[in-house]
Amino acid sequence: MGKSSISNNIRKLRFFHNEMTQQQLAEKVGVTRQTIIAMEQDKYSPSLELAFRIARIFNVPLEEVFSYEAKEDGK
Amino acid sequence: MSFQQRNITVSLVTFILILGLYMTRVFQLLQSDGFTPTNIFRLWGITIILSIVATIILTILAHIGSAVFQVIKTGDENPKIEDIQDERDKLIDLRGTRVTYVASSLGVLAAMLTFVFGQPPLVMFSLLVFFGLLAQIIGDISRLMLYRRGF
Repeated sequence: MGKSSISNNIRKLRFFHNEMTQQQLAEKVGVTRQTIIAMEQDKYSPSLELAFRIARIFNVPLEEVFSYEAKEDGK
Repeated sequence: MSFQQRNITVSLVTFILILGLYMTRVFQLLQSDGFTPTNIFRLWGITIILSIVATIILTILAHIGSAVFQVIKTGDENPKIEDIQDERDKLIDLRGTRVTYVASSLGVLAAMLTFVFGQPPLVMFSLLVFFGLLAQIIGDISRLMLYRRGF
């Protein structure tokens, strides 16, 4: 529980896309603002579909939005 | 706090109150020698109906309360309430339901154990409702924890 091993650049990408608000992004990808907040705080790892939707909104590849860091025990 | 979190909080408070009322009534019956099948099954019925009705009414009130809160906060006459359930809400709901089922199953097992210790069936039936309500409370707490701590 807590911080996930998947981190993201959503906050930075929002800033570089005309300072898009969390609410605007939430509406575009079809989730609540709370979910965007949880993702930005690395408290929630989105589904693959949602991850692709977010990457598409920012017109960048998935790897530019999300990055995965393996834990020491390999999980 | 999101709309879903408010709903869970309302449910949590409701079930804590119902459990409190149920326990108070059971102890009253025990002290007044009224711990009879008629009284206990009547209490069963009242508790279950109260749980359903209170949950429905309080959910509606929470919805109205959210709308009023939004109007006061934003000044918008047609407030937009985020009452959609997205993938995160569904996942948290599923995990919470799993916790509720596990707690409920353990409760049923504990209630059944009273037979092993030679207790009358009424004790088992009283404990079934107690653990049912407790499982709901534990499930709601786990949902709120998942919202706050993340997963």
